[in-house]
Amino acid sequence: MPVVGAFCVTVHKDACINAQVPGKCATCVEVCPYEVYAIDGNGQVAVQNYNACVGCRICAEFCPENAIRINPAESEHLTRYPWTLGQVEEIHHKALTGEYLLRGFGTMGPLPHFDQILVVPSQLAAEPPKDKYREECEMEVVIGEDTCEKPIRLKYPVIFPAMSFGALSREAKLALAIAAAKMGIAGNTGEGGLVEEEPYYCHGYVDKEETQKKWEPGGYLVVQWSTGRWGVSADFVRAGDAVEIKIGQGAKPGMGGHLLGAKVTEEIAAVRGIPVGSDALSPCRYYDVLSFEDLKKQVAFLRDITNYEKPIWIKLGPSRPYDDVRLAAEAGVDAISLDGIAGGTGASPDLVTQGAGIPTIACIPPAVRALKDLGLHRKVKLFALGGIRNGLDAVKALAMGADGVGFGTAAEIAMGCRACMACHKGNCPYGITSQKPELRARLDPEEAGQRLANFIKATVEEIKILTMLSGHSDIKDLSEEDLRAVDPNTAAITGLKLIGYERRMPWWENEHGN
Amino acid sequence: MSRVLDAKGKDLRAVSTQLKEMIAVGGGGVTLKNAAHLHGLCGGLKSGEITIEGNSGDYLGVLNDGALIRVTGDAGKYVADNMTRGTVLVDGDTDYGAGQYCYGGTVVVRGSAGDFTATMNKGATILIGKDVGDEVGTYMLAGDLVIVGNAGHNLGNYLIRGNIYVGGQWASLGHNIKEEPLTEADVDKLQGYLAEYAIKADPRAFRKLTPLSEKPFYK
Ligand SMILES: Cc1cc2nc3c(=O)[nH]c(=O)nc-3n(C[C@H](O)[C@H](O)[C@H](O)COP(=O)(O)O)c2cc1C
Ligand code: SF4
Ligand code: SF4
Repeated sequence: MPVVGAFCVTVHKDACINAQVPGKCATCVEVCPYEVYAIDGNGQVAVQNYNACVGCRICAEFCPENAIRINPAESEHLTRYPWTLGQVEEIHHKALTGEYLLRGFGTMGPLPHFDQILVVPSQLAAEPPKDKYREECEMEVVIGEDTCEKPIRLKYPVIFPAMSFGALSREAKLALAIAAAKMGIAGNTGEGGLVEEEPYYCHGYVDKEETQKKWEPGGYLVVQWSTGRWGVSADFVRAGDAVEIKIGQGAKPGMGGHLLGAKVTEEIAAVRGIPVGSDALSPCRYYDVLSFEDLKKQVAFLRDITNYEKPIWIKLGPSRPYDDVRLAAEAGVDAISLDGIAGGTGASPDLVTQGAGIPTIACIPPAVRALKDLGLHRKVKLFALGGIRNGLDAVKALAMGADGVGFGTAAEIAMGCRACMACHKGNCPYGITSQKPELRARLDPEEAGQRLANFIKATVEEIKILTMLSGHSDIKDLSEEDLRAVDPNTAAITGLKLIGYERRMPWWENEHGN
Repeated sequence: MSRVLDAKGKDLRAVSTQLKEMIAVGGGGVTLKNAAHLHGLCGGLKSGEITIEGNSGDYLGVLNDGALIRVTGDAGKYVADNMTRGTVLVDGDTDYGAGQYCYGGTVVVRGSAGDFTATMNKGATILIGKDVGDEVGTYMLAGDLVIVGNAGHNLGNYLIRGNIYVGGQWASLGHNIKEEPLTEADVDKLQGYLAEYAIKADPRAFRKLTPLSEKPFYK
């Protein structure tokens, strides 16, 4: 977002090497992809373009003398609410260009989220707590156990959700694959076709024939079948360990994927089959699904093409979770990913990301109820996505009834991202959401893969701690009884018991009885 | 002699498994009978010559990757959906959406085709012997679409790349599309297509439509 002065860029001259010995250091000039810094006539670093700063903080990170501070300027405008700096600049952007705002990343601002929920530890009244250090905690999630010849056995209740090659760089895709292998969890192609190494990297191998294993224990790859069908063929569908039918995603439910032309390089264009530099606009719905019956037929032929071996998955955006999840389960899938409004994106219209959809915590209870009503809860696996940041968020989602969670944005951050929200511009300073060779060179797949694996490792430990202090030794035993809502609003939305009151809001008791 | 597989009363899994076995052992084509109730038949095949006697269900030859599939009657919706290689021939008519999302291969419909035919075609050659419905060739990204008869409304809406050739009339054109003179190379190409599939039409009588811009959404 081209906000005038959204960030105050300050270079402390006392600390800056270049200010003392002109020409000696120009790290900030080199690393900033937005040309905020320049070397002036005297060989000195000058901040030439404040307005271009997106606040990615890579200059501060790389400055050898710690001489740079990037501070948001927004606080000065908060007193002018509702005419905040962002609102003012958004109108200027539209007035200047005639176009609405597009951006990457997820929802900003205060919507109901996991923070208004607490985990209840066990004391006398419930099963006594389990000992994280000396006892085991069961975390495996199996998808398609009774329905497929090759079910997926996730070591932990965690997946990397669909993030496309195109939105992400090749290096970021490979890092995710390596981390999936190291942690025994699943990666996902996203809707941009396949990076050649993705399937065998996800399995932990460095060669296509899968003879040389490098990363234990090895994980899985989910291939995404989407409305644009970029790079999709029979070989693509069979390259995965599961096929995910994308109906929607949280950041832009009701809209198709949108890869801006700035990121469509020759390589991306070749995989997607589109002209270089043109927008890859996925349709908002399937041209080849006109009815629910058609969707069922798609599930059936995808099973047939994958020899009845592999799970079929559906991904939904946040709309009418009860009915949508019910229909998805009735279509005959083995797993459902349900993404809340907080879900991340490579590029979406700002107003859709901000204002269309419902919060993740309000999606999970109706989704679980739909599966229970069909007798399919814990059989058809439910993955909660959208704004899950750590083991605490994850445990809350699991206790609400989800079987697993996905880390999209958190995975980007684990690779180095500092949440500047300018992914759509294709200038990601960390090489995660860029296709420019010089920026991609900043991301080493193995190193980023290790960072991701570390992040997941720490997170599953958090899940374990919280599960065990609630008195359980299996994540499947977590339940709503292990959670409390902090305020009446959250209790009203989620059906969780309200702290202090220690009961559910009356209408939840009456309507659903349980 | 073609071998026969009767699909009567069988489900997709049973027929598909048997069909794949028959193709694997070799020994000529396979004729499928009573298969109109099956959807997604012949999906993702890499080889084989299959003749469907009579009509077919929906998604026939979805993700076809090399097989030659022929239907002697009419085909349902989404014939040859997302095909990458191979050929699908329909002697009769097709319903909605034939040849959508194809990356390659050839679809030939001797009769008429429904609405949204060749939507998001990314490289297949699609020949329709008679008329087509509305919204045909929507957001086509590559390939040739040849319509011997007439087309309905909004033909070639947001065409990005590729060519649409029309022998008859169209009711209206979509966005980002223009008429262009037929070249000798076009005539030769059309002549070739028509001769190969024995479709009677004068290649010089076609009109050619191409995109206005490859990047209508992005400046
Ligand atoms: C860079 C990026 C690319 C994405 N690409 C896709 C995609 O191709 N298909 C899809 O279904 N979702 C896509 N998503 C959405 C994610 O699959 C997931 O729903 C979302 O990131 C979950 O929310 P979180 O980011 O808060 O974890 C993308 C998200 C990001 C951040
Ligand atoms: S855009 Fe990033 S690198 Fe450039 S000045 Fe701002 S924070 Fe520093
Ligand atoms: S992925 Fe890159 S461009 Fe996107 S928010 Fe993170 S640092 Fe910024």
